[in-house]
Amino acid sequence: MKGSDNIFDKLSRIRGLKRFATIFSTLKGIVYGVQEISVGAPHIRDNIEIKRYMSCVIIALMPAALAAIYFHGLYVLAIIAVSYVVGGLVEVSFAVIRKKDIEEGFLVTGIIFPLTLPPATPLWIVAVGAFFGVLFGKEVFGGTGRNIFNPALVGRLFITIAFPGVMSGVYKMPLSDAITSATPLGLFKADHVITPVWDLLLGMSAGSLGEVFRLGIIAGGLFLMFIKVSNFRIPIAYLGTVALFAFIGGFFAPNVFAPPLLQLLTGGLLYGAFFMATDPVTSPMTNSGKWIAGILCGIFTVLIRTFSGYTEGVMFSIILVNALTPVLDTAILSIKYKAVKK
Amino acid sequence: MTPDINPIVLFFASVFTSNILLANFLGMCSFIAISKDFKSANGLGLAVIIVLLITSVLNWAVYHLILVPLNLEYLRFIVFIIVIAASVQILEMVIDRISPALYMTLGIFLPLITVNCAILGVVLLLQIRNYSFVQSAVFGLGSGIGWWIAIISLAAIRKKLEKAPIPAGLKGPGITFITIGLMAMAFMGFSGILSVQ
Repeated sequence: MKGSDNIFDKLSRIRGLKRFATIFSTLKGIVYGVQEISVGAPHIRDNIEIKRYMSCVIIALMPAALAAIYFHGLYVLAIIAVSYVVGGLVEVSFAVIRKKDIEEGFLVTGIIFPLTLPPATPLWIVAVGAFFGVLFGKEVFGGTGRNIFNPALVGRLFITIAFPGVMSGVYKMPLSDAITSATPLGLFKADHVITPVWDLLLGMSAGSLGEVFRLGIIAGGLFLMFIKVSNFRIPIAYLGTVALFAFIGGFFAPNVFAPPLLQLLTGGLLYGAFFMATDPVTSPMTNSGKWIAGILCGIFTVLIRTFSGYTEGVMFSIILVNALTPVLDTAILSIKYKAVKK
Repeated sequence: MTPDINPIVLFFASVFTSNILLANFLGMCSFIAISKDFKSANGLGLAVIIVLLITSVLNWAVYHLILVPLNLEYLRFIVFIIVIAASVQILEMVIDRISPALYMTLGIFLPLITVNCAILGVVLLLQIRNYSFVQSAVFGLGSGIGWWIAIISLAAIRKKLEKAPIPAGLKGPGITFITIGLMAMAFMGFSGILSVQ
C-alpha cells in the first residue's frame, strides 16, 4: 500500500490541520503498523520497537489491573482513564508545540501510575499526579528515554508530599466500601499485627490498587524477566537485600523491624521491584551498577519503612537510587576503563 | 545543655536525613555553578569536606575556649567568618603546592568557599545546637560528605542531560532547579528517621 492512500496522510495535508500532523502520523502507525525499511546494516528481521516493548509491560500488568477492578469496582477504570487522558494530553501538547513525534512512553506511565494509588483516591488528585509526573518527570527532560527519574513515581511522590492527609486515609479493604488507613505495614508499625501470607498473596489486604494481588504481580514480573524485557538483576538484588536486612534487623530488634516475609509481601515492594526499579531508562547501564542499585534500593526501603515517619519506603528509595544512577554509571565506567585510559 | 546524641547517629543524620544541601538548602550557589563539570564538582566537594571538618573543629575551640570565657559571644559572627577565611586561605596554598591542576580547575571557587553558606551555616548550627567537641567534628565531617554526595550526583545527572532535547527555555539553570527539586523530594523520605538536636 502506498503511504499516501490512507486517511491520516490526507488529513495531515489539510492546511488548518498541519500543526497536528504528529497526531495523525501516530494514529497511522497504530492502525497500519510501521512500514519503514531499514537503510543500513544491521537489518534486524524482528520488528520489535518501543511500542512492542511497552505492550509487553502492559500485558504483564494486566493481572494486577484486572484484580484491582474486581476488588474495587468500576471506580478503578475511572482512575486509569483520568491518568491516561491527562498524561496523554500533556504528551500530545508537548509533541504538537515542539513539532516532534508522539512518544509511546506514556502508554506505560499511564497504567503504572494509577496502579500505585490507594483505591479511593479522588479523581482530581489522580489528575494532578499524572500531570506533574508526565510534565516534570519526563517532558521537561526531553521526553521518553531522557528522564532521570521514573515519571510515574515522580507523580506519586508529589501527591504523597502535597496531600499527606488525603493520601494516607483513602485505603480500602478489597470487596468492601469501608475506608481505612490500616495497611499491613501500618498495622505492624502500630500494633505488631502480622497479616497472614495467603491473604497477602491473594490480595485480601488494604493497599494500593496494583499492589494487593501479589500472585499476579509475581507472575507478571517473571514473565517480563523471561522474555528479557526487564533485567533480572535489580529485582533479585532488591528483594534479596530487603529480606536479608529485615532478617538481621529482626534478629536484634524483633519489635522494630517487620519480619522478612511480611516485608517482601507488603507495600509496593513487589510492584516497585518488578516494574519500576527495572525501568531501563532510569536504572544503571552496567550489570555491576544494576546489582548496586538493587542493593541500595533494598537498604533505603527497609530504613525508611522501619524508622521514618512514612510507613512505605519503596517509592522514596527508587527515586533516591534514580538520582544516584548517573553517578554509579560514571564511577563504574571510570573504574572499568582505567586500564584503557592509561 | 549538650544534646544527647550518639556521634555515629549524628554522622548518618548529617549525611542523609538532614543533608545540608537537599534538606537545609545551604550552599546552593556553588552547588549549581560548579556541578556543570564532574571533575571540578568532585574536587570542590572534597575541598568542602576538608574545610567543613577543619572549620567546625576550630570554631568550636574558638567559641568555647576564647569567646565564652571572655563574655564576647556577640562577636561570634565576625570571628567565625575570620576563622573560616583564614583556614580556606591556608588550604588554598596547600592545594596550590600539592596539586596545581586541581588548583586551576577550582579557580575562583576555592576562595568562594569562604562565603559558601553551607560552611557558615554548619558552624552556626553547631553553636546554636550546643554540640560537644566530638559531636561538632562528626557533624562537620558528615555535612561535608553529604554535600559532596549531592554535588557529584547532580554533576553526573547534568552530564547526562547535556545532550537531551530539553525545551530551549529550560536549558541550564532551569532544568537544574527542577532536578534539585525532585532530588529534595526524594530526600524527604528520610524525614523523621534521625534527629539532630
